[in-house]
Amino acid sequence: MAAPSAKPPSSTSPWTWLRVFYAVLALTVFAFPGGMVDWLDERNTSGWLTAPLALARGIDSASAAIGVKGAGERLRAWFAATIGDANT
Amino acid sequence: MLFPTIDFGLFFAFSFILVWGLNPYNTVKKYVLLALSLAFYASWNWRFLLLLLASGAISYVVGLYVDASAQRPFRRLALGVGVALDLAILAYFKYLDFFIAQALNLAHMLGFDLPLGFVNVTLPVAISFLTFHAISYVVDVYRGRLPASRSPLDIVLYVSFFPHLVAGPIVRAHEFLPQLASPRRAGDFSFGENMLLILGGLFKKMVIANYLAVQFVDPVFTDPSQFSRFDLIMAVYAYAIQIYADFSAYTDIAIGVAALLGYRFPQNFNQPYRALGIGDFWRRWHMTLSRWLRDYLYIPLGGNRHGALATTRNLMLTMLLGGLWHGANWTFLIWGAMHGCALVVDHAWRRSAAFARWGDGPIVRVVDWALTFNFVCLTWVFFRAPSLDAVGQFLGGVWTDNGAASTMPAVVLPLIACGALTQLAPSRARAAIGVVLDNRGALASAAFGFVLLYAIVVMAPSAAAPFIYFQF
Repeated sequence: MAAPSAKPPSSTSPWTWLRVFYAVLALTVFAFPGGMVDWLDERNTSGWLTAPLALARGIDSASAAIGVKGAGERLRAWFAATIGDANT
Repeated sequence: MLFPTIDFGLFFAFSFILVWGLNPYNTVKKYVLLALSLAFYASWNWRFLLLLLASGAISYVVGLYVDASAQRPFRRLALGVGVALDLAILAYFKYLDFFIAQALNLAHMLGFDLPLGFVNVTLPVAISFLTFHAISYVVDVYRGRLPASRSPLDIVLYVSFFPHLVAGPIVRAHEFLPQLASPRRAGDFSFGENMLLILGGLFKKMVIANYLAVQFVDPVFTDPSQFSRFDLIMAVYAYAIQIYADFSAYTDIAIGVAALLGYRFPQNFNQPYRALGIGDFWRRWHMTLSRWLRDYLYIPLGGNRHGALATTRNLMLTMLLGGLWHGANWTFLIWGAMHGCALVVDHAWRRSAAFARWGDGPIVRVVDWALTFNFVCLTWVFFRAPSLDAVGQFLGGVWTDNGAASTMPAVVLPLIACGALTQLAPSRARAAIGVVLDNRGALASAAFGFVLLYAIVVMAPSAAAPFIYFQF
């Protein structure tokens, strides 16, 4: 693959980049909230992540309530079954 | 803290806003970048932070002394001491036990015992890449390619900058240090293109490399005696795709992450399995290592300036050391020797009258490609196998068939085809899509980025293999 080109785009600002980056991360966490909940849960041994964990669980519930979480899980299971990955 | 993890995602989300927020205050930003880089390194083993700082300190002091503009006595000697110190650190951590084992074996064969014991030292992550960066700086300063930096902060940040710290690409000092001189301009980079680079890297690692490793390559190389000839041969091709997808993914993500922070890294892969000849392969595979070996080893040895015999010696030495750089094991030495021999033959072929006459013909090009690709795949057996015995077992199985039926999972062929497609895609496609995304605005970029990331998460297996080049 070629290295990124040096051509500057017409209207680039790092703050636009930040908005896009955080939006992509937030949407992905909403679509697959289980990973974030597990990640926080594993690290919450002394209780210092209780607040973010509660937030992640809230996102998890909201995502499950409107079916986004379930859709992601079904797609993952379908893809794993299609290609014969028994671990997923 | 591996790139395709939640840990790194959060770390980068935090770094991203901090670095651009501090961009107008360049010195403060560099201190923050250094702190982030040290934190990144400490996430593996904080005890080796001192090693990182020591490497930077050696480079800084030696650089000041050997600066080409200074008329100091013994500059060459000071350079030699600096390079020797860097190499001594590498040798101690990476090669000491290997050399002790060879000395003990030799002594045993000669019938006496040596009073030597193994050091059993933990290998620090990134030690090889750290050494390359440190040597690059002092040699470039000695040669006058850049002035010695008066800022120890710049030098320590150069050797420890987290995107390239663990597995490259190897960024030369004269490419990176000037970028630290002033605040970065986001307008010099395409967000869309670099987002695609990162997402493409995640796809190559999380989908192609992980599936190939977990489902097929690792089991085959763990016990080749259980697999048929067909499976063994397919495992070699699968590994060729896996190591490309794995390593190029790491450097793609590193290049993209650095660009999103405002720093430009050199290209590291250019569709290497399209190579026509081994020389061409090394101009496309791990390009920053090839450049490093050429500029800091092959050319100082004399390059091709002193006749065919000296060129052969220099090529062989360069590739043997390049092989040894990958690890203290005979398998890597033989891998390097095979590439060295092939480079010698390639060199001679490209200078022959036959090549001048027929080299551009379509049949010769097809044969050239097939020989190169299959030779590279054969050498991967030595690279992947844990020992020479394992290589023998693997190649023996290819010869005898082991009497086993094929158990290759159906997913392997599509994954190999997918990896092959990455070698055929037009090299400017990503840049073109990136420009379109940049011009469509933030909403389109976010939607496109999310759809790609969603697809990657859907396809990624739950089991993951570690990055291959972390061990080097």
